[in-house]
Amino acid sequence: MEANDVVTLKTVQKAADTLSGHVIMTPVKTDETLDLLSGRRLYFKCENFQKSGSFKFRGAYNAVSRLVSSNGSTAHRLELVAGSTGNFACGLAMAAQLHGVTAHMVMPDNSPECKKQMALSHGASLTLCEPAAQDIARTVNQVRDATGAVFISGAERPDVISGHGTMGLELLRQVPAMDAVVMPVGTGGMLTGVSVAIKSICPEIRVYGAEPEVSNCAAMSLKRGERYAFPRFPQSVADGLNGNIGKLPWTYIQRNVDEIFTVSEDEIKNAMRLVWERMQLMIEPSGAVGVAAVLSDSFKERAGGCKNVAVILSGGNVDIDKLSEIL
Amino acid sequence: MNTNAEVTLQTIEEAARTLAGHAIRTPVETCETLDLLAGRKLFFKCENFQKSGAFKFRGAFNAVSRLVRSNEPTQRELHVVGDSSGNYACGLALAARLCGVSAHVVMPNNAPECKKQIVLSYGATLIQRERRQDFPQTIKQVQEMTGAVYISGSQNPDVISGQGTMGLELLQQVPDLDAVIMPVGGGGMLAGVSMAIKSICPDVRVYGAEPEVANQATLSLQNGERFVYSYVPRSIADGVVAGIGPVTWTYIRDNVDDIFTVTEDEIKNAMRLVSERMKLVVEPSGVVGVAAALSDSFRARAVGFKNVAVILSGGNVDLQKLPELLLM
Repeated sequence: MEANDVVTLKTVQKAADTLSGHVIMTPVKTDETLDLLSGRRLYFKCENFQKSGSFKFRGAYNAVSRLVSSNGSTAHRLELVAGSTGNFACGLAMAAQLHGVTAHMVMPDNSPECKKQMALSHGASLTLCEPAAQDIARTVNQVRDATGAVFISGAERPDVISGHGTMGLELLRQVPAMDAVVMPVGTGGMLTGVSVAIKSICPEIRVYGAEPEVSNCAAMSLKRGERYAFPRFPQSVADGLNGNIGKLPWTYIQRNVDEIFTVSEDEIKNAMRLVWERMQLMIEPSGAVGVAAVLSDSFKERAGGCKNVAVILSGGNVDIDKLSEIL
Repeated sequence: MNTNAEVTLQTIEEAARTLAGHAIRTPVETCETLDLLAGRKLFFKCENFQKSGAFKFRGAFNAVSRLVRSNEPTQRELHVVGDSSGNYACGLALAARLCGVSAHVVMPNNAPECKKQIVLSYGATLIQRERRQDFPQTIKQVQEMTGAVYISGSQNPDVISGQGTMGLELLQQVPDLDAVIMPVGGGGMLAGVSMAIKSICPDVRVYGAEPEVANQATLSLQNGERFVYSYVPRSIADGVVAGIGPVTWTYIRDNVDDIFTVTEDEIKNAMRLVSERMKLVVEPSGVVGVAAALSDSFRARAVGFKNVAVILSGGNVDLQKLPELLLM
């Protein structure tokens, strides 16, 4: 940890206090079949059960809560804007509604219908744009100019990342024998927050990210030693991970993450099917990427010594009508 | 076969001891959205998380386990046979494998693919038949060839006692329980759970739930005598279209407060709610109790009920079929 870090164990612990009673302390589930397939004991953190259907609610709630506190009496006039592939929009819309604050969401037009609907159902306004980083940024700025809304970055804002980090604190309590944790990485907020929490308390626990091969900017960045960003979003079935890792997350990922494993589209679909059919849990494709990683050959080769591995099932917002396409 | 002739609180408590460490003590989940829709607190017993994907494993394991114990002196190689629309076949296949016994299951041709696959994956022999009328003869053939013991999926007292263990767990897991609702097909779950609950807390109401098109239990209660259709009704709740059996009827008649019926659309709506809001994979039969809990007729009856448990009986559904199952 460095002296001027903006995400620290302390900020994560503070977030845990803020979130207490508002986020769900999601259960950790196990499954004998998946243990057999992976060759180790797996502990699945069920963030598909989280409010708004994914872990994003944690960071969103922490950020909105702190913003509202710091705005005191004028908080009711607050308006927020964010760009998101989907789940952060859902989480932020819900967090904003709970705080009585107006939210504007900007989402790529090819986001799952259920995510668009959920953001709207929580009272957020929705603007759709092209699935490219520049288009999202430009549209967010347009909304900001038009409404005076405060921009809440799902990838860069320390309060958001600290909120996500609370999963790390919970895992340390829920899985006492944990020797590794694996989670999907898109913009890197979850990986940053959770790695800070875990490495600050138990640095010997391995922290691994998991990415689709076709959307592997974190893995590529680690390999090159500098942050890489796709100019146009890749199109993995793991729609929530089609963004690039953020600048702030990159600085932490370099320090805290032991490895990023990449998985094929088929591996993601197979993992999703396994979790649906064997564990009776609804998870979205992005939510299955950590599972795919832990079942992969490269994990068995390079992380084979880990016996008790926590895997974060990051979310469960999936269009059921599209299921046959996805699977 | 050394079966208990009756189902009592004692046989259910014995079953709980037999199942301990083998069946999963499934969690009870809640959902604010569904509470709002129902107008009360709902407690969902997640038997979709049970081994082999449905509560049927409980009864199957209790029965097979007791059979093995009574067979021990003879050292004879054991075979068991059962007939099932799906989930009991899965439960029996797994129970048999865990107990080191060979299983033969007779299933209809149109049983969900996933259930057939599960049966095969547990190493059981699968025999498919076009018509349920052919089941008894097929079972007889298996018995002649293998000496297999027939274990009815809903009428065998050990099976019913096994299902009853859910009642014991619910009383422990849900304080201040006002009522329990569960799907009813052959009646094994309703018979066992109602016996457990009424023996300990007779004030807790016990309700069954079934599709309107397969309302044999409702008509039986109304008429005061067991009624079954001469045909097999068709419902998306494929696991509960069978009529209640002669053994389960006596327990249901004596212990159950009422049966609620629900439309196909209500079942689909319940599927969508549980899937989308609770992120649980459930099958249509599994949510018939949820549909009932949300229905107008239940709401009229449940005035004053604050805490209602609903058993999600299973989660074995063909994923490819899910979109059409949810289309209304």
